[in-house]
Parts: sequence; C-alpha cells; structure tokens
Amino acid sequence: MNCDKCQDLISDFLDGSISHQDQSYLSAHLEECLSCGEVRDDLQSIVGFCRTQRGQYEAPPNEKALWLRIRNMIEAGASVATPAPAGSRRGFWNNWTARSWELSFPQLAAMAAAIVLIVSLSTAVGLRRWQSGAVDGKFQGSAQNGLSVGSIDVRNRISQQQQLISYWNQRVEYNKARWNPQMRETFDRNLAVIDQAVNDSFDSLSKNPHDEVSEEMLNTALNEKLSLLKEFAEL
Amino acid sequence: MIGMLPTLAEASRTSLSRKPALFALLLVFVALNTTGALAQQHLSKRYPVRSNVRVELKNISGTITVESWNRDEVKLSATMESPAANVSPRQTADGLIVDVMADNRGRNDIGDVNFKLQVPVNSSVDLETKRGQITVSNIRGGLVRAHVSSEGDIELYGITASQVFAQNLIGNIFFDGQFSRGGTYQFQSGKGEISIRIPSDSAFSLVASTPTRKIALGPFWNDGFKSLGDGRKYVGDVGDGRSSVMVTTFQGSITFLRK
Repeated sequence: MNCDKCQDLISDFLDGSISHQDQSYLSAHLEECLSCGEVRDDLQSIVGFCRTQRGQYEAPPNEKALWLRIRNMIEAGASVATPAPAGSRRGFWNNWTARSWELSFPQLAAMAAAIVLIVSLSTAVGLRRWQSGAVDGKFQGSAQNGLSVGSIDVRNRISQQQQLISYWNQRVEYNKARWNPQMRETFDRNLAVIDQAVNDSFDSLSKNPHDEVSEEMLNTALNEKLSLLKEFAEL
Repeated sequence: MIGMLPTLAEASRTSLSRKPALFALLLVFVALNTTGALAQQHLSKRYPVRSNVRVELKNISGTITVESWNRDEVKLSATMESPAANVSPRQTADGLIVDVMADNRGRNDIGDVNFKLQVPVNSSVDLETKRGQITVSNIRGGLVRAHVSSEGDIELYGITASQVFAQNLIGNIFFDGQFSRGGTYQFQSGKGEISIRIPSDSAFSLVASTPTRKIALGPFWNDGFKSLGDGRKYVGDVGDGRSSVMVTTFQGSITFLRK
C-alpha cells in the first residue's frame, strides 16, 4: 500500500468503516510509515477532541469580560457612525451600485489580461508548493526506511510531537483533580515508565545520532506517551 | 432519679406502640434500600447473537475475563464496586457494545467494574480498559484486541484469531495460540515480559525489539534472522513467513516458547 492510498483510508479507518482486508494492509503500512502514522495521529487527536467535547467547547478564561469588550466595540462603532453627516453616509455598496459600469475596449482588455496574469501566478505558486510537499513526503519516507536519518528531521518530528503532548498534558492536568488517588498514582507511575523509555532513547540518540533502533524506540515511546495522555484526558 | 426510669421506659414503649405503622414503614424502607444497593453491585444479562458476533467492551478500571462457549449467546456478568456505577450494554446489528466510559460520563468515581463475558467461540472481541487485567480464552474469531492503557497483565489462551493486538504499559503479556496464514499479531508492553507460546511448525515474519536485548527466540531461531542495534532488534522469517508478528517492549524481555 502506498502513502496516498493509506491517507485516503485513514479517515474511514478512524470511523471504523473500513474492510478487514484494508484494515490489515493499512495497519501494516502505518507500522512502517512514520509520516502516515503522524497523519493518523493528528486526525485521531482532532476527532478525539471533537468527540470528547461533543460540541461543547471550553469558555474563554473570562467570558463576561470578552462579551463586554465585544459590546463596547460594537457600541463604539455605532457611536462613530451616528454623528456623520447625512451626505457622507453613502456607503461603499451604494457607491458601487450607483456607479456607471460602461467600460471601453482597452479597459476590458486590460482587465482580461490582469485576470489571466493573476490566475497564472497563483497556479505556478500552487504547483511549486505541491511539488515541494511531495519532495518532503519522499524525504520522510526515505528517513523512515532508514535510508537517510537526519538529526534535524528527527528533532523536527520530536518537536511536533512534543507540542501535541504538551496540549494533551494540559487537558490531563485539568481533569486530574476529578480522579481518585489510586488512578492518579497509576497514571503517574505509568507516565514515569514512558518518560524513562523516552529519556533512554534520547540518551542513545545523543551518543549515536544515526541509531535507527533508538529512533524507532523514541518514536514508539512518544506515541505511547501521547496515547496515554489522550486516554486519561477523557477520564 | 430512680423513680423516673420506669416512667421513661414506659413513655418510649408507649411512643412505639402508638406508631407501629411508622416503624414498619421505616423497616420496609431500610430493607428496600439494602436490596437496591445489592442489586446495583451485580449485573448479569444474556444476549442471543450470531456465531461470529463482535463484542466491544470499554472499561475504566477492573478486570475483564472472556471465555468461549458453544452457544450463540453472550452472557455478560459485571460486578460493580460502587453502587453509583452504571453499565448499560447495547446490542447492535454487529454485536454487543459495553462502554463504561460513556455510560458514566460526568460521574466522578465509579471504582472498579469487573467483567466476565461468555461468548461464541467464533466471536471477535475488542477489549479496552484504563487499568486492570484482561484474560481471553479459546477464541477463534477474526479479532482479539486487548488494550490496557496503563497497568494490567494480558493473558490470551488458546487463541487462533487472524488479528491479535495486545498492548499495555506496565504488566506482562502472555499469548498462547496459533498464528493464522496472512494474520497480523502485535504485542507491545512498556514495562513487562512478553511470552509467546506457539506450535513448533508456526510460520511467521518477525520484528522483535527491546532495548534490554533480552530476546529469546528459542526453537524458532534460524540463521536468516538479522540482528540490529547490537541485539536490540531482530528481524527475520520463520518458515514461509506467512503471518506478520511484531513484538516490542521498552523495559522487559521477549520470549518465544514451543507448545
């Protein structure tokens, strides 16, 4: 299975609406392909977050203050608009609709040329971005196959994963007060085991930055940590 | 003082004799409450199902034991530590879903809920718990998934499912069964021993990793195995490598045993 096919199926996989055969191919691919694994993890976090929240999202820290500021801004806008003389109150829309739209041939030609130029430029930029994305994907693919393991690439991936971990960590801390002491101890004990695995892999990688086994272990441990945090965040 | 005692006793007797109905009501109320609390602590239900039913169970804390039997029926027994716990199994077209997490959303602490399930032998079982041991015996369906988010042993006996996933963080994993042709088998532990007992003629493609270097392939070792990272990872085929097996533990050993 290639990455495109895999990423097409990930959404169905998370919904549980995938055939057994596809699921086994997908699972096998996800075990091998870090970039697809990351896509799966990201999508899973988003879906998980939405499922957990069930359409109810946390209010901003000071909801009343926020609404007060919004109301003040609206009122301020209205009070500025009120004293304006009647003659100057013709809005943009009025001007736009009242305007005469008879254009000469050179004006029409210039407009058509401008449209063609804008469309060409945006297509070129889009294509370039798409190509660079494809190259990045290929690079990641080769890295996970162990053909090219760059320490910068590893650090980038770790940094991305750390951001996710930090987000879920905050959610765990928020909910932790509700758990019983036994559950808190269990969580801390298990987190310590994972942190130990992460630290050991980091140590090995700092000694040998090209050690693929340590890199794999680090990835697995970070995924495990993320998974632990996500699962306990919903408690 | 002495003269007052009979008067008081007499008064209380009189008071009780005046309100026999109230007293009886109080007794009935206490009895009903006690019965209610006891009924809350244990649940036992049976569900008629097809032979290849899928059973999904998501627990928070407590043990899960699954056994097979020769009936097209699922028997679910749950023992709840807290009377506040709610378990509401849901039967769907595919099978049976028990989601303790969803059933108790918003409640603070529901304690342990221990499950025992008896399912048809060709069932698929998908079991999850945040904490607690999972034991599955004699299942021959498509899937056996045992996932313990934190700590708890996983024991799988007599399993011939084509997909087996066993994962925990602290705790041992024991698998006793057979690998099916084209099947996928994954075992992962954070801190625990992983033991796999299979027939000597098993054929599989293996990726086994542990930083502790404690990988014992025993009778399944052959010269085709490649050691990576100074013995922290072994990759290779046994027989024609017809099924895929992946075993990982961060702080533990991996042992293959012959049946």
